[in-house]
Amino acid sequence: MFTTQNLVSVAIAALLTAGLYAVMSYGLAIIYGVMKVINVSNAGFLMLGAFMTLMYFQWWHLDPVAGAVLNLLPFFGAGWLVYKLLVRRVVSARPIATLLLLFALWLVIQNVALAIWGSDDQSIITAYTYKSLIVGGFRLPLTRLIVFAVALLALSLLHFVLGHTYVGKALRATVQDPQAALLVGIDTERISALAFGLGTALSGFAGSLLTLLFSFTPDFGGPFQLKSFTIIVLGGLENFAGVTVGAAVLALTESFAVLFMRASLQNVIAYGLLVVALIVMPGGVAQLWARTRS
Amino acid sequence: MRLQRLWTVAVVVFACTLPLILTTTGQPATTEIKIGAVLPLTGAFGSSGNYFKQGYTMAIDDVNKAGGLQVGAAKYPITLIILDDGSDGTRSRSLVEKLVTDQHVNFLLGGYDTSLVQAQEVVPDQYKIPYVEGGGAASEIFKRGYKYIFGTLATIYDMAKITMDYLATAADQYKLTKPLTIAVVWENTDHGKDYIEGVLDGVKARPDLFRIVLNQSFQLNGSDFSPLLQQVQASNATVFLSDAHLPDFITMHRQYLQAGLYHQFASYGARGPDQRGRQALGGGADYLIAALWWSPALKGAASQVFADRYTREYHAIPDWFQALSYDTARVLLAGVKNAGTLDGPAVRDALAKIEFRNALVPGGVIRFNPNGQIAGSPYIMVQTLPGNTVRIIWPKKMPETFDAVLPMPKNQ
Repeated sequence: MFTTQNLVSVAIAALLTAGLYAVMSYGLAIIYGVMKVINVSNAGFLMLGAFMTLMYFQWWHLDPVAGAVLNLLPFFGAGWLVYKLLVRRVVSARPIATLLLLFALWLVIQNVALAIWGSDDQSIITAYTYKSLIVGGFRLPLTRLIVFAVALLALSLLHFVLGHTYVGKALRATVQDPQAALLVGIDTERISALAFGLGTALSGFAGSLLTLLFSFTPDFGGPFQLKSFTIIVLGGLENFAGVTVGAAVLALTESFAVLFMRASLQNVIAYGLLVVALIVMPGGVAQLWARTRS
Repeated sequence: MRLQRLWTVAVVVFACTLPLILTTTGQPATTEIKIGAVLPLTGAFGSSGNYFKQGYTMAIDDVNKAGGLQVGAAKYPITLIILDDGSDGTRSRSLVEKLVTDQHVNFLLGGYDTSLVQAQEVVPDQYKIPYVEGGGAASEIFKRGYKYIFGTLATIYDMAKITMDYLATAADQYKLTKPLTIAVVWENTDHGKDYIEGVLDGVKARPDLFRIVLNQSFQLNGSDFSPLLQQVQASNATVFLSDAHLPDFITMHRQYLQAGLYHQFASYGARGPDQRGRQALGGGADYLIAALWWSPALKGAASQVFADRYTREYHAIPDWFQALSYDTARVLLAGVKNAGTLDGPAVRDALAKIEFRNALVPGGVIRFNPNGQIAGSPYIMVQTLPGNTVRIIWPKKMPETFDAVLPMPKNQ
């Protein structure tokens, strides 16, 4: 039933999805890298990012892409505050403490959203929501192309900041060895707050981009959380480049697996990949890459 | 001293015999009827659950405004207790049990959707409390032998069969390309299994006309259907049939349109004409065909009175959710009234032989099969048109029936 054109079409769609997956997982990877904390409230900030974008759209007819940029600053501030007021107090305790704290935060965010916006499905329809482009015989949904381009741009900018600025280098140094970073004079406490702010800003940013593709409710974000977690495990937890590869692996596996199995088992793929990665290569693709090089 | 001892003995004897006295002379007199319902007011089915709450409340308000429900010689006010299960099956079941054991409700109204009704349905028989529901339509609900469950929704199997019957007629009338190649996708639940069974039986009945080119299931409350829709695209079908609940319909059809898919005939079961769906999709929901249990496009007096009243009270146009929940509560109340008692088994027997007239469902009558499911297949087919319009297109004999716009135009 599947022609070469169909298969190429599936591969293109998967790669476009991978861009979105990467941008929504980066925040989680940065926070884990610096603090070794799994930010389960990420799903709540994704959802909040989507609802804020809806507000901008309703108030000022602001396009979701502009909404994504607008979200960066307030979400950075929110993340900074969450770190200073909550996470900092438990970050050195057992991992279960931060996990429970951030899970509770997610529930609070969800319920606040429910109180404000209700449980109805919301969506943003722009002039280009249902438009598509035909390139080389392949039909490409315009929204997916835009999301991919914006995600790529954001990730390139992030790579530049992490690689070429003092703050970025300090952040990477803290990820690699917090003790050594402290010894060379890096304020790791400040870097942790910055990482939490940056991670949350990326969640708000990704939440805005998601509104171009999906409808949403206060429950929105949960399924994406699982995908993000799978991606950072596949990528090697602390490896930023690995996140991009992990996102591509998940998107391609999901898309091609549906050709051979029931689509109702789509989530099994993410769970299955997570289990395989944790057992076979706990260091993710970064470990695999290192092994190959050595 | 002797008198004091006598008093003590008297108090102890009284205290010990009080429960016996209460039992033999009957419970403290009933002053109200308590009806309980557990609905998904939050979570994936939050929108639909809130619509059900509105319908139930309207029906109970009607009775209370008239001074209460006449049961035998007495008239009782009704208290409606609604709890939120957050769209979670396990919680749903335990909350229904809580309504019975803690709140001591006399009767139960059902939840929404099939999966949550299935989670709840074990409780009513256990406590012999009649339960009437209008939110679960899978025939599996009524195959488990429960005696206290009654459902006002016609089955999903019938919905699929009626859709196929309509499609067969439309193929000739609207010159759809024959044979009709069908891509059918269905949620992996009893709801979806009913649907695919109906579609496959429809295909078996007309092998000359129908050919299935894709038959795929998907997960309920999925987050991304684009890989599935890639398969739909590759199947090159002329007809697209999907059995989806409201949140999945909104996500799937949005992605369907974004992927530039087109079919001569597309239907998402009962989805498309609902207000939430049309608000979420804008013009994207135009021309979809749906099979419904009720629509405000029905011109019967009861339907029009209900639609006008709902719009006055809630400043919105009602969908089948509100109408069927209104009917469901009214059927339960009619059963209690007919029984003339609040005794669970007696009300159950009265419901089993009820013939409820002036209902909103097509045909206007609700009665139940021996398994508790509504008798007959009260369905209409509708098409969503631009300008937030919904028109009835089937059955032909109704005065408010219009011709459908088929093949569906490429509206994007």
